[in-house]
Amino acid sequence: MSQIRQYELVYIMSPDATEQEITDLHTQVESIIARYQGEFQKTENWGRRRMAFRIGKHREGTYVLEVFKGTGELTKELDRRLKVIDNVIRHLIVRVDEELRVAERDRARRQAETQRRIDRGLPVGGPRRGASDDDRDDDQADGAEV
Amino acid sequence: MADERRSGSPSGGRGRGNAKNTKDGGQRRGMFRRRKICKFCTEKVDYIDYKDAKMLLPFVPERAKILPRRISGVCAMHQRKLQTAIKRARQLALLPYMTD
Repeated sequence: MSQIRQYELVYIMSPDATEQEITDLHTQVESIIARYQGEFQKTENWGRRRMAFRIGKHREGTYVLEVFKGTGELTKELDRRLKVIDNVIRHLIVRVDEELRVAERDRARRQAETQRRIDRGLPVGGPRRGASDDDRDDDQADGAEV
Repeated sequence: MADERRSGSPSGGRGRGNAKNTKDGGQRRGMFRRRKICKFCTEKVDYIDYKDAKMLLPFVPERAKILPRRISGVCAMHQRKLQTAIKRARQLALLPYMTD
């Protein structure tokens, strides 16, 4: 019984790959997701961009992002398939649900805090300790003592 | 009122502070390091995205090493998130592992 989770998949296609090959691979990925009862959410083609270092003999590649929901088996299958395809020079599958949940929770908490401060008529933004100018003075003082 | 009475006679810690302050011309009692502020806290960033290489770039200067938090002033929580984001970005060749 595996859980449904949200994942992000980014793969880099070789710069030699044609438009056709890129869309083919995308539909292939989509069909795999469908086969494993996953839910395809969105795709993004970042286009050709220069990589920070060479991978194999390539200096640039076409980046494609896919966001989907599915089980661990699905990611395993995608991973296996992408490894086999020669046109894909690198791929990465990241589970994002947990992080997005944490981010959402933090955002909600901050919003609640802001609301609370507004309700009580307190300044919004929270107390900040020490202005920067004062701190610079302190630094000089530290230097003088040494 | 207790303060007024004590100001005449210099006491240990207080005296040292005063000597330093006269040189500075300041009125500060305590000593703080300069408080560095966490960029992510001030900008209220909840999720550090590994896909946003431009945002991560200032945290991997020159040699492409991750900037330590004692220098950047990023808080512990965000440094942890930043760290995973940078490492993921590296796997996708969005950021370099090293530069020569």
